[in-house]
Amino acid sequence: MNIIVCVKQVPDPEIPPSKFKIDPVTKKVIPPPGVPPVISVFDERAMEAACRIKDKHGGKITVISMGTGKVADVIKHSIAMGADEGFVIQDETFENLDSFGTAYVLSKAIQKIGAYDLVLCGRQAADWGAGQVGSILAEILGIPLVTFACDIIVEDKNVKVKRIVRDGYEILESPIPTLITVSSEIGLPRLPAGVRLMLASRKQIPIWKAKDIGIDRSELEKISGHIEITEVFIPTRKTECEMITGNTPAEAGVNLASKIANLI
Amino acid sequence: MNNHKGVFILGEILNGKLAPITIELLGIGRKLANELGEELSLLLIGSNLSDLSKEAIAFGANKVYVNEDPLFDNYNPDVFAQITTKLCQKILPSIILIGHTDIGADLAPRLNARLGGGLSMDCIDLSIDPQNKFLIMTRPIFGGNAYAKVISKTARPQMATIRPKVVPPAQRDSSREGQVIPLDEKIDSSLIKIKMIEKIKEEVEGVKLEEAEVVVSGGHGIGSAQNFEMLKELANILGGAVGATRRACDEGWVPVTLQIGQTGKVVSPKIYIAVALSGAMSHIVGCLGSKYIVAINKDPEANIFNVAHFGIVADYKEVLPALTAKLKELLSK
Amino acid sequence: MASREVFWNISYGNLIYLLAIISILIWVWYFYKRLKLWQIGRQENRSKEIWKRIVIFIHTIVTDVLIHRRFLRHPFSGIMHFLIFWGFIILLLASAVDAITYYSNRHIIGTAYLWFSLISDIGGIMVFIGIIMAAYRRYVWKPEGLNTILDDGIVIGSIGIIIVTGYMIEGLRQALTEIKMHPDWAIWSPGGFVFAKIFSELDEISIRFWHKFLWWFHSALTIGLIIYCGVTFSKLQHIIVSLINIFFRNLGPMGAPSPIDIEKTEILGVGNIKDFTWKQILDLDACTNCGRCQDECPAWTTGKPLSPRKLIQDLKSHLIKITKKTLNTEESPPPLIGEGPNESEIWSCTTCGACQEICPLYIEHILKIIDLRRNLVLAQSKMPETAQIMLRNMQQRGHPWAGAQSLRLRGDWTSNLDLKILSEGDKARTLFWVGCTSALCDRNVPITISLTRLLKSVGIDFAVLGDTETCCGDPARRAGYEFQFQIMAEQNIEVFKNHNISEIITICPHCYNILKNEYPLYGGKFKVIHYTQLIYDLMKQGKLKLKNGLKSVFTYHDPCYLGRYNGIYSEPREILLAIPGASLKEMENSKNMSFCCGGGGGHMWIEEYPGTKKINQKRIEDAIKTGADTVVTTCPYCLQMFEESIEQKGLKDSLRVKDLMEIIETITKES
Repeated sequence: MNIIVCVKQVPDPEIPPSKFKIDPVTKKVIPPPGVPPVISVFDERAMEAACRIKDKHGGKITVISMGTGKVADVIKHSIAMGADEGFVIQDETFENLDSFGTAYVLSKAIQKIGAYDLVLCGRQAADWGAGQVGSILAEILGIPLVTFACDIIVEDKNVKVKRIVRDGYEILESPIPTLITVSSEIGLPRLPAGVRLMLASRKQIPIWKAKDIGIDRSELEKISGHIEITEVFIPTRKTECEMITGNTPAEAGVNLASKIANLI
Repeated sequence: MNNHKGVFILGEILNGKLAPITIELLGIGRKLANELGEELSLLLIGSNLSDLSKEAIAFGANKVYVNEDPLFDNYNPDVFAQITTKLCQKILPSIILIGHTDIGADLAPRLNARLGGGLSMDCIDLSIDPQNKFLIMTRPIFGGNAYAKVISKTARPQMATIRPKVVPPAQRDSSREGQVIPLDEKIDSSLIKIKMIEKIKEEVEGVKLEEAEVVVSGGHGIGSAQNFEMLKELANILGGAVGATRRACDEGWVPVTLQIGQTGKVVSPKIYIAVALSGAMSHIVGCLGSKYIVAINKDPEANIFNVAHFGIVADYKEVLPALTAKLKELLSK
Repeated sequence: MASREVFWNISYGNLIYLLAIISILIWVWYFYKRLKLWQIGRQENRSKEIWKRIVIFIHTIVTDVLIHRRFLRHPFSGIMHFLIFWGFIILLLASAVDAITYYSNRHIIGTAYLWFSLISDIGGIMVFIGIIMAAYRRYVWKPEGLNTILDDGIVIGSIGIIIVTGYMIEGLRQALTEIKMHPDWAIWSPGGFVFAKIFSELDEISIRFWHKFLWWFHSALTIGLIIYCGVTFSKLQHIIVSLINIFFRNLGPMGAPSPIDIEKTEILGVGNIKDFTWKQILDLDACTNCGRCQDECPAWTTGKPLSPRKLIQDLKSHLIKITKKTLNTEESPPPLIGEGPNESEIWSCTTCGACQEICPLYIEHILKIIDLRRNLVLAQSKMPETAQIMLRNMQQRGHPWAGAQSLRLRGDWTSNLDLKILSEGDKARTLFWVGCTSALCDRNVPITISLTRLLKSVGIDFAVLGDTETCCGDPARRAGYEFQFQIMAEQNIEVFKNHNISEIITICPHCYNILKNEYPLYGGKFKVIHYTQLIYDLMKQGKLKLKNGLKSVFTYHDPCYLGRYNGIYSEPREILLAIPGASLKEMENSKNMSFCCGGGGGHMWIEEYPGTKKINQKRIEDAIKTGADTVVTTCPYCLQMFEESIEQKGLKDSLRVKDLMEIIETITKES
């Protein structure tokens, strides 16, 4: 099985809410000092799904990541989990791309990699959470797409995907090659360990720039850039605690129930 | 851009009726259409659509496009994508609204890829910019720590998926009138790749703590393993999971896997109900990502009240039974 | 002139020497075969610094073997063994003297002989009393946890019979040669004298017959015992194996695992018995199943699955079981988990080191457990969920504390303090290495800040890393996540070198231990100090102004990683004793036998298995017994552990726990 996994490096979601800061001018999140970025939660699950398939059926996992900064770290993390090789896709023209642009760049990288049976992505990025890149990528590549997978079973020419729906699951069948976005219900990802961890940390990860994957700047500008962020703000957290009362504790409980029912 | 007009909704059908999200979309859709002075249309795919079309009109749609075929009662991404794309390419809506559900969140990006790139997902608010008439979409980012306002500058249609239960549902008015337009486009079956094999309904038994929308958490004040049953019952009614503080786990009242906090799990449910726990920071760090924190504690000075949105100062044993019973009643409706 | 004829009444008595030599040769043959068994393990170099090793060996023999230092912690079994050991030494010397006088024909006569006889007899009586104590302990008293097997019975029984028959033989000889003719000699052989009185009623022929019979019986039993030991590798073999094990004992820091060099080996930790080194396998044979380690183990004594004794014995049984099959094949032996130790035992260890500190044979339990953990984590990805959460945080976030980074970022504690925080390119000689717990946890941060105040007030020029400091790697290493530790160690060493650091001050004993003792193997050799050493030096130099007294009754808890691991016991105590108004009480288990708080070995995060009580609760009971009002400690884990157990036991009004630094702050403050 030839699997390509797309992963993204995001700021650590587990920081104290009070430390979360935004620059309203650049409309970007200011990463708190000393907190290393991590692999996006759902992308790690996609990597885990790929490893499970490789454990069972053998094959090769190639991992790619587009981003700015020390993106190689998430590639190394993926290799330590079980990927065979990885590439960083980085170029100044790739900064500030929207979902469309990102999917286009990834599709060019995948073209360069060559043949594949499966492309796995996380269902959404843990930072911006747009939730589109995987789907648009499938459309660009012209392959079928299944979203919100929590289990993938590989058969001869097809995959059976267990998909999360509101009241349970669906089992869908899709022909290979196909793109699957993975959800966290797939389970805990394995701890990168063993010799892989050491080998991955020492590996040099190749960087592909725009020209390496044949991206024309004008083409990129045509495809990307539709979505504009006009404002980013932090909602004021209500720390005023509304005390619910009643003549008896039980009555207070009843009043609280109404409040909670409205929130659901 | 100028030839795109109208607000278009992709409707969902649940148990033979219009899905609640669709009614909410009709509400916001109507509002936006009115502000723009344009029409609101809706697409329904499935079977027995004549009554539903009438419903949709009563909720505010000017036009209802129906694609009637019992084969399409179950969502098939390739089929729905094909039908919706063809229709939108014909009617050229300015705004497309879809519910952020397992159907909508799946379908919307596919449409985005085919129609041109103006999609924003999981929106919690929509408004029209009074000057340029652009649709302003507000969506959460970074796990809800922040919000972004987004517009589609150049791409049309502008597309948004909307989170359920954040916008008010439409008001029914059976005096409203509208058009029902049947679609009889042929589906190109060679483009249908995905096949549905099985649908499994699952009882919400043992929701995973990390994914639960509601968490009912107990602390040292619970007093015994037996008493945790009360929390389990409440969690079940709410379709949520039970969590606990380190001290409660240390006492052996609940398994360690339920521990939330500095050395336990970090959860960010919609509602976090903290029962009989003091709210030590080492626990709070595990639940501060929750949208709403509800606290029940008999100590009015407990730290939990500093981070909670709603609170009751009382012995939980006297509050919980009434709370659970009332919620059971309200939610079964 | 008093004397005794060697081999009186025994013809061909010198045959005994031939038989002894034969039995010893048989013994050597079986020992050689056993040696081969030890060699199925991996290589390990324990012959470096051979002269230092010899000196330490001699020193250990004197203190532990001859003086029985480690034995005497439990008086009954300590004295019991002392008697048997020294009794036998005396008897052996006596037999050697007999052999020499026999072959050189120079006999001991007169007063010299009488003293010789008395001392020899006392030797035998010592052994006898020891054996009676042993039999009583094993078969009547039966203390909990003492594991008795057939071999114990055979050894105790045989030695008992050998001693008794020895006195019977002496008594029979005395009955004929001394009782009537030289009664004044007889009492110089008290053991024999008791029987002599009885046998003097018999006629000469009976006496001679029984003397001959019992003499050969006694000799045969002794020869038989030697052969039995050889063939079955009875626990009596410890007589020889202990010397070998002590000679090859660990000379380096306690519990310091070896690096795994992936370019040289594919073995990750220990998966099967052959993955152990020869020394680790030798440990298994050195163990006499005495159970002292078990009695000191904080896990065992609070009802957890782990017993260090059982772990070693299970591994030994497994070794013997599979020996026949795998000794000569290239086949891999079966995996250890399930065959010997199970996972709950392996994960229960807090790496406190009490087992190693008390073991009279210098067996090394800790590294075996860490090696087993390594295989579970690195090769099998199997670990308790709480361990996985912590290790995941180590790997992704660079520290073990989860949950919104404990509401603090790494560098938060430095805000509003005038500190030199190192950025890229900065140089500094002295670094104050804070550690994860002391930077991130609310209870510990004020202590960190106090220390910086103190350092500044005495004019020490130091820098901190602030938010670029990551974990020293100790929790990962102790949990078996070796490669993550290695990555962190290499990164930290590079950071230290880039800033030209040569001296590191630490607050946490775990950081102290790993930076001082384990980082050098990764290329990072620095002068590492724990803050108690610093404060002690300042006090001795008169630079520490103790302004205020403190009327408190202290008791000091020795953290495992400061005390047992690094020998720092007296400094904190002397500091406390120097405080006017303060008094210091010692807990029952203190100094090198201090009882763990339960936080080591990754257990600040890895959940304790259910047992009879929590380890920190058991330890706080020791503190309560002293009547102290304050427990003082010098480790951030111990501090948190005791805060927890004090709260759980509802002791907040009668007992407090404080870090030594908090006490120093109080007494040096300007009031």
